[in-house]
Amino acid sequence: MSALADSLALNWRAARARAYVRVVGTLREPQGLVSDALFPNLGMCAFVLFYRAIGAPKSFEALAVIGGVLTTYWVNVLWGMGAQFYWEKQQGQLQLYFAAPCSRMAILTGMAIGGLAATIVRSVVGIAIGVFVFHVHVEAFSPWLLAVVFFTTMAALYALGMTLASLFLLYGREAWHTCNALIEPVYLLSGLYFPIRTLGVLGSFTAGVMPLTLGVDALRQVLLGPAARGLLPLRVEIAAMCAFTVLFLVLARVSLGHLENLAKREGRLTQRWQ
Amino acid sequence: MAVSARIARVRTAAWLGWQIESSWADPLLFFIYGVARPLAVALILAVMFRAVRGPGARDAAFAGFYVANAFHAYVNTVVVGMGWAVFEEREEFETLKYVCASPMGLLTYLSGRSLVKFALGTVSVALTLLLGWIALDVRWTWSAVHVVPLLAALGLGIAATLFTGFVLAGSSLVLTRSAMTVLDGATLGLYLLCGVIFPVDLLPRVLQWIAFALPFTWWYEAMRRFLLGQGASALLSRLSDAQLLAGLATVTVVFAICSVGAVRAFEHRARQLGRLDQTTLF
Repeated sequence: MSALADSLALNWRAARARAYVRVVGTLREPQGLVSDALFPNLGMCAFVLFYRAIGAPKSFEALAVIGGVLTTYWVNVLWGMGAQFYWEKQQGQLQLYFAAPCSRMAILTGMAIGGLAATIVRSVVGIAIGVFVFHVHVEAFSPWLLAVVFFTTMAALYALGMTLASLFLLYGREAWHTCNALIEPVYLLSGLYFPIRTLGVLGSFTAGVMPLTLGVDALRQVLLGPAARGLLPLRVEIAAMCAFTVLFLVLARVSLGHLENLAKREGRLTQRWQ
Repeated sequence: MAVSARIARVRTAAWLGWQIESSWADPLLFFIYGVARPLAVALILAVMFRAVRGPGARDAAFAGFYVANAFHAYVNTVVVGMGWAVFEEREEFETLKYVCASPMGLLTYLSGRSLVKFALGTVSVALTLLLGWIALDVRWTWSAVHVVPLLAALGLGIAATLFTGFVLAGSSLVLTRSAMTVLDGATLGLYLLCGVIFPVDLLPRVLQWIAFALPFTWWYEAMRRFLLGQGASALLSRLSDAQLLAGLATVTVVFAICSVGAVRAFEHRARQLGRLDQTTLF
């Protein structure tokens, strides 16, 4: 029991320390914080104006705003978690993580918490733009239900990020290019800027493999009601995201262990500039 | 410096750029990675349009937005790519200081690096237009295309792309890790401010003035008008073809002069701040 408590305390301290570096690093550059909060939301503004230009009903603008806010989390999952081990490798720090007694998942959790803080600021700015600039309206909603949907979405997304991080352990610049290639195609397949139903069978398929698709659809259902043109009943989507969270955490644990060994055998952990 | 020597240096930088850009993957994989993003954005627009208007709907305005979005690939690839080139050289490969210390000079080096990015951007533009033509019914009448003004606009737009790339590369010299956000923000900011997928008339008045100070706003409008026969902005539709082209040329020349001065000032400032060999990721 004591060993378990010690292990939990060690991993908690490791997660807190990794989150601390990220939060302090972010706060050290206030101009970066402003640009970090504002710039990612500009794409959302363009898509809202596109809907205006083609004469779409107002509810479509709300769909795009909610999707746009969620893009910030997806980008954070990809770059702040998935590709982070690649960055660490480039800076020669990765081997320190592997020499440390804590779990690699504790370090990734710290990255997630540290990154989430900045991402929440970014999404609040996105919501403010949606409400005060584009005057999007939402239906009356339960804040508890919204919180449940939001946190299950985040848990599933960041668990996916941990799995991606393990895959990127092996890779060099492929990690960088994969992250780049996974931005807009995922926006498309997740229906971030349009109702996922519009994709037909493809939309149903992506909902079955990507938590972001379900998360954005569930958030829209909570905030917009029938105007969300939801794909599945809300309860089903929440249950599916919980299942995704468990699945990705297990996958991350297994693949981190496996790929760590593989990367060590192939001598890739300390390999830079490949 | 002799022109031949300058050309040789640009060619060397272009060769190096190609090695850096492509050495991580086989050509097919590299091609897939390169075109995934622009094609996905094109499809997002098409699905958004279809969600509102229904399957099979056609609209001249949508075609204009689609074409401008295709040409925006140059901005994403070249403009932002040149900023990333500086960032990578400093933060990842830690070779920026050697580039700056070499007799080649930063501007020549960046010009060479931009050539590969132009090639990649051209592939993106061509494939996006091809996708539109084949799958999304975004077509134009070849006989109605204003070929000479179109080519002139294309040349001016590409020049504007190069000089804007210099500005972003220069700003990356001065900025620390926040350059990553600024570069991504610049992509999105230009996407918004230049009215790529909507008429700039929809922007607030203040932003409209900024939009008209950017060459890309004029470029996209010119490409729509000379290729499809109709622009998107009611404000710019008051101008004749010659006036539109003259506006694009004027803004591009002013932008080019300012950008060369800006990149030299940024380089000087980066040396003062000791940023050329500073790595700032965490």
